[in-house]
Amino acid sequence: MATRENDDRIALLQGTLDLLILKTLVLGSCHGQGVARLIQSQSEDVFLVDHGSLYVALQRLEDRKWIRAKWGVSENNRKARFYSLTQHGREQLVEKTGEWRRLTRAMGLILDSGNGPQREEA
Amino acid sequence: MFRRKRTSQDFAEEIKAHLELEADDLEREGLSQDEARWKARREFGNVRAVQERFYARGRWVWLDRLLRDVRFGLRSLRQSPGFSATAILTLALGIGANTAVFSVMNAVLLRSLPVSDPDRLVYLRTSNPPRGTGTIDSNETFSYPVYDALRRQSRGLSPVMAYVPLSNSKVAVRYGAQPEEAEGDMVSGTFFSGLGVNLPRGRGFSEEDETNHAPIIVISYNWWTRRFARDPDVLGKTLYVNGVAMTIVGVAAESFEGVEGSGSTDFWIPLQNRRELNAWGNPPQDGKLYVANSTWWCMRMIGRLAPGVTRAQAVAQLQPVFQAAAYVGLGSPMEGEKPPVLSLADAKSFAGYDQQYGNPLRMLMAMVGLVLLIALANVVMLLLARNATRQREFSVRQALGAGRGELLRQLLTESLILVSAGGALAWGFAEMATRLLGQWAEIESSIAPDRTVLLFTLGVLVFAALLFSLAPLRVALGGGATLALKTSAATSNTDAGKSRTGKIIVALQMALCVVLLVGGGLLTRTLRNLENTPLGMRIEGLAVFGVKPNIPSIPQGVAFYVSLMNKLRVLPGVESVTIMEERLGSWWSDNGDMRVDGRLPEVASGASRTVRSNVVGPDFFRTLGIPVLAGRDFADSDTASSPHVGIINEQFAKRFLPNENPLGHTIGTDDGRYTMTIVGVVKDHKYRSIDEEPIPMAWYMYAQIPMVGPMHVEMRVHGEPLAILPSARKAVQQLDPNLPLIRPMTQREQFDTTISQHVLFARLAGFFGFLAVVLVATGLYGSLAYRVNMRTVEIGVRMAVGARRGQVVWMILKDSLLLTASGVAIGIPLAMLVGHALTSSLYGVKPLDAVSYLLAVLGVTVVALAASAAPAGRAASVDPMTALRSE
Repeated sequence: MATRENDDRIALLQGTLDLLILKTLVLGSCHGQGVARLIQSQSEDVFLVDHGSLYVALQRLEDRKWIRAKWGVSENNRKARFYSLTQHGREQLVEKTGEWRRLTRAMGLILDSGNGPQREEA
Repeated sequence: MFRRKRTSQDFAEEIKAHLELEADDLEREGLSQDEARWKARREFGNVRAVQERFYARGRWVWLDRLLRDVRFGLRSLRQSPGFSATAILTLALGIGANTAVFSVMNAVLLRSLPVSDPDRLVYLRTSNPPRGTGTIDSNETFSYPVYDALRRQSRGLSPVMAYVPLSNSKVAVRYGAQPEEAEGDMVSGTFFSGLGVNLPRGRGFSEEDETNHAPIIVISYNWWTRRFARDPDVLGKTLYVNGVAMTIVGVAAESFEGVEGSGSTDFWIPLQNRRELNAWGNPPQDGKLYVANSTWWCMRMIGRLAPGVTRAQAVAQLQPVFQAAAYVGLGSPMEGEKPPVLSLADAKSFAGYDQQYGNPLRMLMAMVGLVLLIALANVVMLLLARNATRQREFSVRQALGAGRGELLRQLLTESLILVSAGGALAWGFAEMATRLLGQWAEIESSIAPDRTVLLFTLGVLVFAALLFSLAPLRVALGGGATLALKTSAATSNTDAGKSRTGKIIVALQMALCVVLLVGGGLLTRTLRNLENTPLGMRIEGLAVFGVKPNIPSIPQGVAFYVSLMNKLRVLPGVESVTIMEERLGSWWSDNGDMRVDGRLPEVASGASRTVRSNVVGPDFFRTLGIPVLAGRDFADSDTASSPHVGIINEQFAKRFLPNENPLGHTIGTDDGRYTMTIVGVVKDHKYRSIDEEPIPMAWYMYAQIPMVGPMHVEMRVHGEPLAILPSARKAVQQLDPNLPLIRPMTQREQFDTTISQHVLFARLAGFFGFLAVVLVATGLYGSLAYRVNMRTVEIGVRMAVGARRGQVVWMILKDSLLLTASGVAIGIPLAMLVGHALTSSLYGVKPLDAVSYLLAVLGVTVVALAASAAPAGRAASVDPMTALRSE
């Protein structure tokens, strides 16, 4: 049963997982399992994608009309649901990528600044 | 969302596809088929949880859950339809009765006058009128000079408004050709503006209208609807009031029907100064109308506190003005005379209603409150019984992991369903009952339930819902999860504490039932006494109606009545006809001191000298069928030129002329200006109302006194009295086409109006007593039957070891008789308190009336025995073997 706490956790992941999905789909349409594998391999197995969350995220993006989905046939002849980016999704990808870059740069600036208690503890 | 929503099934399929694709990949990476499938599934995690998240996405989870709870609740209530129907009906009756009585009470006692800022309005009151004045009400009415002084010199009240009826019942009006009657008041020019009453059509009055006695009229919305069918063109039309032409200039706001609660005013005109429109429809006294008569205190007054002025400040400013004005035309106060003192009373709500309906309504409210308590207790007991049998269910659910919160939620939902169903039914029931109540009580203002009533009902419902869900919770949780493991119902159903609670509730219900039955019994016996009270006259075959002719002079007035009576006497079926100033059985009477043989009679200190008098026509006592004990009745031969004659009753003779022959003595008015010789003594009889005690009375002959005004005509006829009215109406209109018959009815009906409130009150009390008995009987039956059920095994064992049927039956009966006894023991003292509170509503019955108490005790005992008979019979017919095997 879904509860509020779960929703909060999703919210935390949302930014990153959504962005990763959009980025993966920019290469072309793909099914959910493919997206999971791609993220895992492209991140050099740093990210272990929770499959359940992935499908919920895919559904969410579809609801927002950032991606669209169609049932099709995979390369090894299995039935699968294929996702592709919409125009709206592309715009979002550009925007979110920018946001993420600014965020990581700012984080980097702070963490590399060379003062602060963390360093002594580290 | 524009697209059709994706189904959960489609989502499930996608996950299935994912697992297959993943397994394919894993297999390609070198795992065996089975291992690949396993790993794919393991990596995915909890499929169900994801599907749940998909399902919950974008939904109101709580609503979803509530719907599910409601569905579950409905299902479980449907499983015991008998219980559900009883609970809902009991609630509907209990709450409906409360809502109905409360809405009447709300309308009559709590609701404000329909005016702007009612909190700043005050009625003017006086401690007493000065000596030598006549009043309508010794505390509430004032003379015109007092009004005039207050309105000119008041700074504390702005404005001071006066209003005075044109008649003590209705006045003759004519619109078009047909004469009819309506209730009307003369009012100050500031009346509508000062009260802040809107006029949706036309205009109100101005101070100029008052000064000029403008012939204009404002009609009430209600009358406009009833009489004129909301014709917008009625403005500017002419309406004749007592034959005086008035132009309709406005229609008052919808709910405004005057500032006195009892009765509803149909129209208002500015204060007038002409004999046809004297205050209260009285003839001029010594040639003076109310405007010039400083000794007739006949006007009611209401005022609005000036901005920033407190009530005390207003009184302080007005007091000297009032006390000076009170003696205008009277000379200075006598030595030691207490001057009248002005005070101000709350005018927020109707003044008249509280006096008239206050106590009965409060008593009724208390009664229905008791009924509600009984009803709630009943439902609680039903719930306790039902949930006790469900204890196993609760235990199993707890064992399966349901939390206390979940059980509470379920109980709450079930009680919410019961309460909403009961509440909806109750509201419909109350609307109906309210309408009936309004008709019976003849309350003319609107008493339909409003928002306050709705809030009250909702409050009761919420309380009931909480009570119903919390009371059984203890039982539900009490078992705990382990009870599910016990197998015998016998072990789980013999909880002593639980049945003690049930016992206490039943005993209290019995006590309340005794209280209601005693109350109902006392009032019903009162009613019986009232209905069987001898009136001292032949009441059947009498018809009465009022006439209000235009009387330019006394001889013309007398001539009118002589010719009217002559016309009526010759109508077919008429036995005799007479006239009277005060109508019998209408609560009205003219009270005052009288001289006997030239001086005010000596009475023992503290005793009353008051004599009730009436002005009547020839054949008065013969027509009414009142025995003349000595002397004679008035006759046509008693005229203005013959010697003045009067008639007295036994009481008068006994009190003022003891031990002598009253015939031949002279009596007269207290100022000594009119005297008459006693020519007859009549038997005491009822005069104002059915429930009065006889007091000294005297009758004047109308044709001999120096005053003649509107009269009531009394006709004794053969057959149905009301059948005479059409021909009587024709006879009246031959004399004056403007005259309607005012309030025509039988004399019996007229007397019955004086006990109509008692009748209504007694009927309602009887009804609620009956309702309580029915509720207590159902509750008792339910709980006894349930307890006998629980004891089936025990009874089986008892019978197996040799108990006889009689012993078993007695065991059950003894149980309920003990309950009854304790209920009666608590109920009797309570009932005595109630009886004491009822004293003022009783007639011919003592508050400690043994018969009522006996009947009440007998009533609850019978109910208890009847309710136990069936369970006891069932208990006795238990076959020991079946009982023992039943587990």
